[in-house]
Amino acid sequence: MGLFENLDKIFNVSLIYATFRASTPIIYAALCAALTQQANILNIGTEGIMLVGAFTAVAVSYITGSWFFGIIAAMMGGALIAMIMAVGHIKYNSDICAIGMGINMLAIALTKFLLSVMFGTTGSFANPDIIPIPRIHFAFLENVPVLNDLLNDWCFTEWFVILFVIILQFLFYKTVWGLRLRAVGQFPMAAQTTGIHVNAVKYQAMLISGLVGGLAGAHLSLGYSTQFVENMTNNRGFMGVAAMYFGGANPVLTSVGCLLFGFSDSVGARLQAYGLPAQFVLMMPYVVTVVILAISMIIKLRAEKKRESSLITNEARG
Amino acid sequence: MKKRILSIVLTTVLCMSMIGCAKKDKPAETPAASTGESSGEAAESSGVRVCVVYTGNLGDKSYNDSCNEGAQRAVAELGIELKSLEGVTAQEWEANLLAACEGGYDLIIGSSSNLEEYMKKHASNYPDTCFAIIDTVIEGDNIQSISFAQNQGSFLAGAAAAMFTEMTDIDGVNEDVIIGWVGGMDIPVLHDFYIGYEQGAKYVNPDIKILQSFAGTWNDPLKGKELTLAQFEQGADIVMGVASTTGTGILEGAKEAGKYAIGVDLNQDGDQPGSVLTSMVKRVDNACYLTIKSVVDGTFEGGKTQYLTLADGGVSLTDFAVIKEHLGDKFPQEIVDKCNELAEKIIAGEIVVENYEGFGPQ
Repeated sequence: MGLFENLDKIFNVSLIYATFRASTPIIYAALCAALTQQANILNIGTEGIMLVGAFTAVAVSYITGSWFFGIIAAMMGGALIAMIMAVGHIKYNSDICAIGMGINMLAIALTKFLLSVMFGTTGSFANPDIIPIPRIHFAFLENVPVLNDLLNDWCFTEWFVILFVIILQFLFYKTVWGLRLRAVGQFPMAAQTTGIHVNAVKYQAMLISGLVGGLAGAHLSLGYSTQFVENMTNNRGFMGVAAMYFGGANPVLTSVGCLLFGFSDSVGARLQAYGLPAQFVLMMPYVVTVVILAISMIIKLRAEKKRESSLITNEARG
Repeated sequence: MKKRILSIVLTTVLCMSMIGCAKKDKPAETPAASTGESSGEAAESSGVRVCVVYTGNLGDKSYNDSCNEGAQRAVAELGIELKSLEGVTAQEWEANLLAACEGGYDLIIGSSSNLEEYMKKHASNYPDTCFAIIDTVIEGDNIQSISFAQNQGSFLAGAAAAMFTEMTDIDGVNEDVIIGWVGGMDIPVLHDFYIGYEQGAKYVNPDIKILQSFAGTWNDPLKGKELTLAQFEQGADIVMGVASTTGTGILEGAKEAGKYAIGVDLNQDGDQPGSVLTSMVKRVDNACYLTIKSVVDGTFEGGKTQYLTLADGGVSLTDFAVIKEHLGDKFPQEIVDKCNELAEKIIAGEIVVENYEGFGPQ
């Protein structure tokens, strides 16, 4: 079973959707982190927000029988957790990393606890009464060979993420709110002197970030799969934070970083089947994380240097 | 004022967490009490304290739950006191094992071979405690090892999968003669599974292709699902999963893709009804129960190895009942007949299933 005669099986059309499927949860997580990063808050609690969202989505979908309410509740749950962080960080000046890690640990324990109290099980909860997010089926694509494999039966939240990246890109760089948000993140004092309520903007960013994080969780437990499992985020939140760094909190670039993760994961899944050592393949996403972060840091440093030098020349001129 | 509110909130949280803790202990004890009363025998506590250390979480509907079933049966029938320690990372496993050692338990059961290294390191320091390990062999005066002929059970699963992949009249079965196998962590016992699976499949069809992947974790069903879907996209139509909680994603992947899976450890046929052909049942529950019983009866022998095979019911395939109901007329009865025939041949010694090094009868 040689690797090379099977390249067509590894790099086929389905790889494109597989990449996107594996990336989507990370894109949501990265957007959750990007929102606060624009206001200069490192949302290390993304993982915890997602996990709470995932649990709430499953619980509410199971109880009400509606995926829509599940998503809404998950977003509310995410927002609630994010607001705890926001109050701790903005109002009481606690270190965001400390409180974020606290949130992550709380989320694992809290969902485990609620799982046993509400459903009387441990470990995982799957039930036919959990209504998943519907998949969108285009009847007219059924007879189109490639597009049918490529675009049919995507989950609703998978389509939505594309739209959402565009919306956020517009919001950050083309609206007054986005300008204020970035001003608060880059130079709070300057923002304040122009009359922006710095803390209000930070609270808004955290709130929206929480809503997005909750949606990320709902996609994991109702879209990507239809079950809740303890700690089911499995570091996808942290990968999102890494991708956010890669993209410098720019939604489009961030998503590109996420797609790289998804791609390395999906190609790895296929390569393994042809005798490449599992340990090597499983290492790939993490190697990619390190490489991506290193590259983004180099780019950032260069950009800063350039900015500095232009500043000096400007001063010299002035 | 603010401080007062804060203190009230904190106190409430504290009280709630205490209630929570109290509640959590209850389920472990109540079944013992209630079944004890109803059966009327062995109702009073035998005073034996047992701790089971898991490498993963309960609720996997597979290996860990099977082990827990045996332990709960011992609670109900033998009146032992049971403590279960779950852990996801290697650090937690060693810490849990040490905590169990220090806890003065009569018997500590290490549920999987992931604990091998730590038990080797620490068991000799606690000579008065009985230890048992499942799925691997450790030498030591106070350690009993229990291993299974998972290669024999997997041989049958592989043979069933190899026959199934050629039944193209069943929905979801394609022309390619390719089957898949997804494992949790890359540990020796899983290779023992795989060797049997491969041999069984090749026994039926020497030209068959088998795709093999490891998720690298016992607790990530999404990863399991992704690997399974990748194998389906590469032409497989049936995938055997051996992966604890990761395996729930394997079964879900099969259901979503309209393909098939083979479950493991417990009877998982009903978990995604209609998408699970059969399950390779490994009676971890019996092993766990019998070990506890030997301690209660005082017959526990350290340094001994038990090897449970197809012949003594340690491993087996399920009866295919769930898939039969779903496929109706299309259900291939010949697979069941052939599997039964192969099982008899293995028991009679006509077919010798190979072992991964370090496994097999000692």
